[in-house]
Amino acid sequence: MRRLLNVIVLSFLLLPPASAQDLDIFGYFEPQFNLVSWDDDSYQLQSNKLRVDLRSHLDEDIEFGANFDWIVYHGKREWNYWDFIPQRVTSRYHPLRRERYGFRFDDRNFLDNAYLRLCFPSFDLMAGKQQISLGTGYAWNPTDVFNVKDLTDPTYEQPGHNAIRIDWPLEGGFGLLALYSPEADWETSGKLLRLKGRWQHFDFSVIGTETEWGVTDYEYAFFNLLTLHRRRLLGGDFAGELLGLGVWGEGAYDFVEDFEDFWELLIGGDYTFDSEVYILLEFYHHSLGKSDYRDYDLNDWLRFFYQEQKSLTRDQAYCLIQYPLTDLLKIGGSTLISLSDGSIALVPTLLYSFHENIEFTLIGNVNFGEEGKAYGSSQGYSLLLRSRVYF
Amino acid sequence: MYTRGYLILALLIACLCAPSTFAQTGTITADSIIHKVTQTMNPAQSEGKMKMTIQTTSRKTRTFLYLAYAKNYGEKTLMKYLEPSRVKGQAILMLNNADDIWVYFPRTRRVRKLATHAKKQKMEGSDFSYEDMGAGNAFIDEFDSQLLGEEKKEGELCYQLQLTRKPKSTSGYSKLIMWVDKEDFVPLVIDYYHDDDPTLLEKELVCGEIKIIDDIPTPMQVVMHNKLDRTQTGMEMVEVTYKVDLDDDLFTERGMKK
Repeated sequence: MRRLLNVIVLSFLLLPPASAQDLDIFGYFEPQFNLVSWDDDSYQLQSNKLRVDLRSHLDEDIEFGANFDWIVYHGKREWNYWDFIPQRVTSRYHPLRRERYGFRFDDRNFLDNAYLRLCFPSFDLMAGKQQISLGTGYAWNPTDVFNVKDLTDPTYEQPGHNAIRIDWPLEGGFGLLALYSPEADWETSGKLLRLKGRWQHFDFSVIGTETEWGVTDYEYAFFNLLTLHRRRLLGGDFAGELLGLGVWGEGAYDFVEDFEDFWELLIGGDYTFDSEVYILLEFYHHSLGKSDYRDYDLNDWLRFFYQEQKSLTRDQAYCLIQYPLTDLLKIGGSTLISLSDGSIALVPTLLYSFHENIEFTLIGNVNFGEEGKAYGSSQGYSLLLRSRVYF
Repeated sequence: MYTRGYLILALLIACLCAPSTFAQTGTITADSIIHKVTQTMNPAQSEGKMKMTIQTTSRKTRTFLYLAYAKNYGEKTLMKYLEPSRVKGQAILMLNNADDIWVYFPRTRRVRKLATHAKKQKMEGSDFSYEDMGAGNAFIDEFDSQLLGEEKKEGELCYQLQLTRKPKSTSGYSKLIMWVDKEDFVPLVIDYYHDDDPTLLEKELVCGEIKIIDDIPTPMQVVMHNKLDRTQTGMEMVEVTYKVDLDDDLFTERGMKK
């Protein structure tokens, strides 16, 4: 029944009804091949994703936008986080505990974004499922409580969030953002207020959010014990230029009820050389991360894997290098370094423009750290080949 | 600031025609010509649709279609991509003569501020860098000009100028040779010489098919030849108007997202 519904929806989208002449339909098809080598074996996981975007301007000041995603998986779909945790940690527990941490790549069809945007003379109102992008950081965003980036591919699109937001542009490049992300009641709903401004060649903002944060105690004997905490964040960010370098920063202090308060800090910079080599560097600190890898426990690993916590290790550096080898081929890569435990992951990348609407991406991932460290070599290595056809 | 921005965008989307009486006084100097060129290339306001075609080293082509807006004599510019689908909806906002640049990515709704060094990067792999697309007074601020004489170029009688980089300039070009049409002060050809070697020709810009639009001479075709990479990028004016009253709100983050 669900498949039939999908076919009907897709057919509706692709047929050009007379009443939808202003409806813009576009998107992409993205087949991916993922090769993972781990524990002396290699595994394959393929996925095919179709994203269909709709955009309609009912009026100059009224915009409707939405996108549907269809994702199907094939190959090794079942994995277990337990297998990627150092044996030093897992050996403390009964082997049966492993059963708790399995996950599966199930086929998914969903409405990722769907929103209505109304532009009034002095402010914009946007309601519905929408992208929320906060902060100036490239690999991490301390002020963003809604998303967690994939460090091997930080610019990949994030899921949509239910929210209603108002953007008020103010004089002199200033602007105010108020956002409400509704949940079951007012207390558990997300609230955000951000004041953005400009000073000389710098953009800056101060931000305050209140959200509910779910933290799981994975060490609890009988099941994964999830507790919810009210989390209030106060932070800010900036982006600008200093001595010819692009510079940015982001910081946040989180007040958490019935849990440990914590803070995050990010400082970054970038530069393009005359040879067109582009370099980006970021330093990131997360006070809940551990500074000694021997202290990483089950909760640290699993909260990181389940994206409850952005970092396992306390201090990290991220370095990105890109170079346009030809006008169609861009090579480069990123390096993730845990400054706290000394482990390193290399992520070589290659981007080839096969056609103006077709691109191929290759992303590798090799860890060089010792067993038990954040980027330990025992976590294996992977290779992702992605093609994307835009229409 | 890196301001070797040679007003390519402004050149295409505008070319404010000034009366050429100035040129007929008989005492014209290199400085007065370059001021006139700068004035010519910076219209009060403009709105246009542009088509950019890149011819790659492998003889493949990449075509982009975008809307371009400019205000305050090129001090503010906004570009919004229409095609291809890969970049549809992306926008680039340049303020303060391209000293401040923001890029908007519609799929993530993220606006990223770029430092001026990013202007060295090729725009979508073309032979135009971001700074080439910026506007400003770079010819005046970054270079000393010298009138070499008169010469026929592209079938028109032109002033031939040499622009030499000023000692404190951060321009990426050591020298320019420019041929300026004596009639309408449109630079018909500009040769760009390498940053480190003033004898090495790096790029050549050729403007053609000049039409009078809203009383302004407008090159409908501009081609940038990269002499080192042996590639070229053409820009074609699909639509343009100078009789517009653009709202300042267009040149904001809000305007990028609209």
